[in-house]
Amino acid sequence: MSSQETILRGEGLVKDYRMGPARLRVLHRVSLTVRRGEFLCILGPSGSGKSTLLHLLGLLDRPTEGRVFFEGEDAFARAKRWRDRMRNEAIGFVFQLYYLMPDLSVLENALLPAMIRTSLAAWPFTRSAERARALEVLGDMGLGHRVRHLPRELSGGERQRVAIARALVHRPRVLFADEPTGNLDSATGEDILRLLQRLNRETQLSIVMVTHDDRLARQADRVLHLKDGKLLQHA
Amino acid sequence: MGEYLAWPWFWPAALAGGAALVALAALVLLAPVYKHIVCLKYLFGGWKAVVPIVSALPAALGVFLLILVFAIMDGFVMETREMTRGTLSDIIVDAHLGGLPYYDDFAERIERIEGVEATTPIIQTYVIARIKSSGGRLKPIVRPCVLIGIRPAEKAKMGRFVSYLESWRTITGDLEDEKEKMERFLEYLHRLYAVDATPEALQRLLDVPPELQNPGGPPRAGTIAGSAVVGVPMTDYLVETVQVGAGRRVLAWFLAAVMMVVALFVWRAQVHRPGRKGWVLATVLCALSAAALVAAAVFIPVRPGRVLRPEVVDYPILARGDDLVVSTIPVRASGALETDPGGIPKVSSRAFALVDTFKSNYWEADSTHVYADFAVAQQMTGMEGDESRGIPARASQIQVKISENAQADAIVGRIGEAWEAFQAERPDADLPTVSINTWETQQQMILTIAKVQRNITTLMLGLMFVGFAVLIALISYVMAYIKSRDVGILKAVGASDMGVGSLFLGYGFLIGLVGTALGMIGALLMLHYLDGIELWVNQALGVDVFPRTMYYFDHIPRHLSPWWCVGVGGAVLVLATLASMVGGLLAAIRQPVETLRYE
Repeated sequence: MSSQETILRGEGLVKDYRMGPARLRVLHRVSLTVRRGEFLCILGPSGSGKSTLLHLLGLLDRPTEGRVFFEGEDAFARAKRWRDRMRNEAIGFVFQLYYLMPDLSVLENALLPAMIRTSLAAWPFTRSAERARALEVLGDMGLGHRVRHLPRELSGGERQRVAIARALVHRPRVLFADEPTGNLDSATGEDILRLLQRLNRETQLSIVMVTHDDRLARQADRVLHLKDGKLLQHA
Repeated sequence: MGEYLAWPWFWPAALAGGAALVALAALVLLAPVYKHIVCLKYLFGGWKAVVPIVSALPAALGVFLLILVFAIMDGFVMETREMTRGTLSDIIVDAHLGGLPYYDDFAERIERIEGVEATTPIIQTYVIARIKSSGGRLKPIVRPCVLIGIRPAEKAKMGRFVSYLESWRTITGDLEDEKEKMERFLEYLHRLYAVDATPEALQRLLDVPPELQNPGGPPRAGTIAGSAVVGVPMTDYLVETVQVGAGRRVLAWFLAAVMMVVALFVWRAQVHRPGRKGWVLATVLCALSAAALVAAAVFIPVRPGRVLRPEVVDYPILARGDDLVVSTIPVRASGALETDPGGIPKVSSRAFALVDTFKSNYWEADSTHVYADFAVAQQMTGMEGDESRGIPARASQIQVKISENAQADAIVGRIGEAWEAFQAERPDADLPTVSINTWETQQQMILTIAKVQRNITTLMLGLMFVGFAVLIALISYVMAYIKSRDVGILKAVGASDMGVGSLFLGYGFLIGLVGTALGMIGALLMLHYLDGIELWVNQALGVDVFPRTMYYFDHIPRHLSPWWCVGVGGAVLVLATLASMVGGLLAAIRQPVETLRYE
């Protein structure tokens, strides 16, 4: 159940890409809000600009025009360091291709956000707590027995669960999921979706998921349709 | 250590080095921990770790060669310095052949300067020496030489004159400690000349024992001549003590290190291929081979052994007590040659009895120097003066010994000032022009040649590092390109552009560190076992690396400067870090969405 408090707001978002001398506009003045604890789905066909919109909202990319307000702060008016910190402490990402660090073990991947915000000097003092938290989240994901494995030794579903664990380990306020089941078989995809729903329900985590799959979208609290870079309707 | 402390830039350099280390430690400690972990994973994770290890090899080779070659070349420079220095003194006040009157007065004034330990006047002139072998086996040999008149006890304080004497080597040959050597030598002199006091014993170094005087003939003054003055160079086989087995041990260590690296990689491969028995077997075999090589390296005996080597020796043609006839033309204080009443240059000749020979390994000294008592040489060269006619006695030089930590150049300046004051006090004395130099300035030519050779070689080898820097730049670029997805992931999870960029700098730094460590360990091992390795190469491969018949050294000289090691290591680390900025910049400017979208 979402509250009425807005955690994230996009205002007139435009994104152009340079294609040689030409400019390609992939987002046309998109505005949207995400409420705290809401499970929002952005539905659209391939090439509609869903991932681009997700990257803008997740502060991974800068809009050509428009503004993104994260917890009331104009994110792109703030220093880049602030946006890096938000991505590290307040935002989690889950990608279609998992994007795990191949040289790090499952546990190290889950510890990555903590390792980014902690210096080597401070690490001995925080390591055990961070490790316990990572093990707890990995245990929740059913990966307690896989913590020492490398990503290449895991199945697709396990990899995606590691990616979700990494996205959750630092207790983010918003989780961005880009086609999280797109690379999985339908049963595993449903497992992952159920996991996201449970997290949303139990932790009041705001989730913004983009997908082209109607069936997945129906599980969300609210669905926004994106086509050719424009929002069509609110559902 | 004293020589380093005396260097004017020592403390600024030490402070700068310390500050750099503190800054580096702070950088390492305050950097986010992911950089260290990811960096180490890139370096040592699986097969791709071959890339950084292979790229560390040029650095290791460069460090190895630079330290080894510089140590040997510097050894040549240092030994040449020591050889030339040993026959001279720290500072020389040179009045040339014309001579310096009132030399004792001026020497006393020099001794009052702070930092001066001792002085001695010297007579030095060119002579013709006639050497006739005892028993008349060879025809007489006539050589151009330099007659040096000394006060032996004072000269002994100047340099290493005493330790170059053949009698010294004979008496002290089995001793290591310099102090013990001197004690034993003095005991010998006390016995020989039946004197107790040390200065008196040393002062009698040039005395001719009665048994060496010609019976019935006039008493002769004694002389100490260079080994090559009274000898002819011949190749002979001499016994040399070396560490036998060192070459085999170093080779075993090297192979063990290579096998350990191979075992490490095979083990990594086996870990990631569970269930494949071939990899397990290969791991076990590699580990056993590495262990066997380590055991061999530990247990190969390295012990001092004696070997015969061909070396150039000065085969003596004069024996103790034989005549050495020296002739010269005295030079007046005005610089004119002394003549007889008919205007013909007056030749002054004298037969000396050879009492000892000396060998400093400095060829020019060993082949020309003939030492005689100061007063005798003064008389031969017409520098003894004539009190009745008011003509002062003269000396060619005043040699000056300074204390260990004194600044020679500063003292040269003070002596110059003292000389000006001395001249001003004696306006009517017609004092000559003198030159005041350190021994290094005096021997500039030979030292400069050795230094230039060392510097050119170092420069040439240093160019290797340009190749290394290019290699690191390319590798870091390729790594940043290959790892662009990792860059995107790290940035998506909150790593900063600078942070991800500096990860690749750390990567380059670690490659440099591994290379430096490998190269330095190799060079230090090589230098430690150099003589044994040379012997092994000589015996196993038949290559005479350092023919003793060509060089005037009985071993490969070496001098390892800690500053040089620090400098080379630091330069490699800085170079590796700077070169890896190429990859670091690529990683820093990469937008995460670019890599995550197109992957």
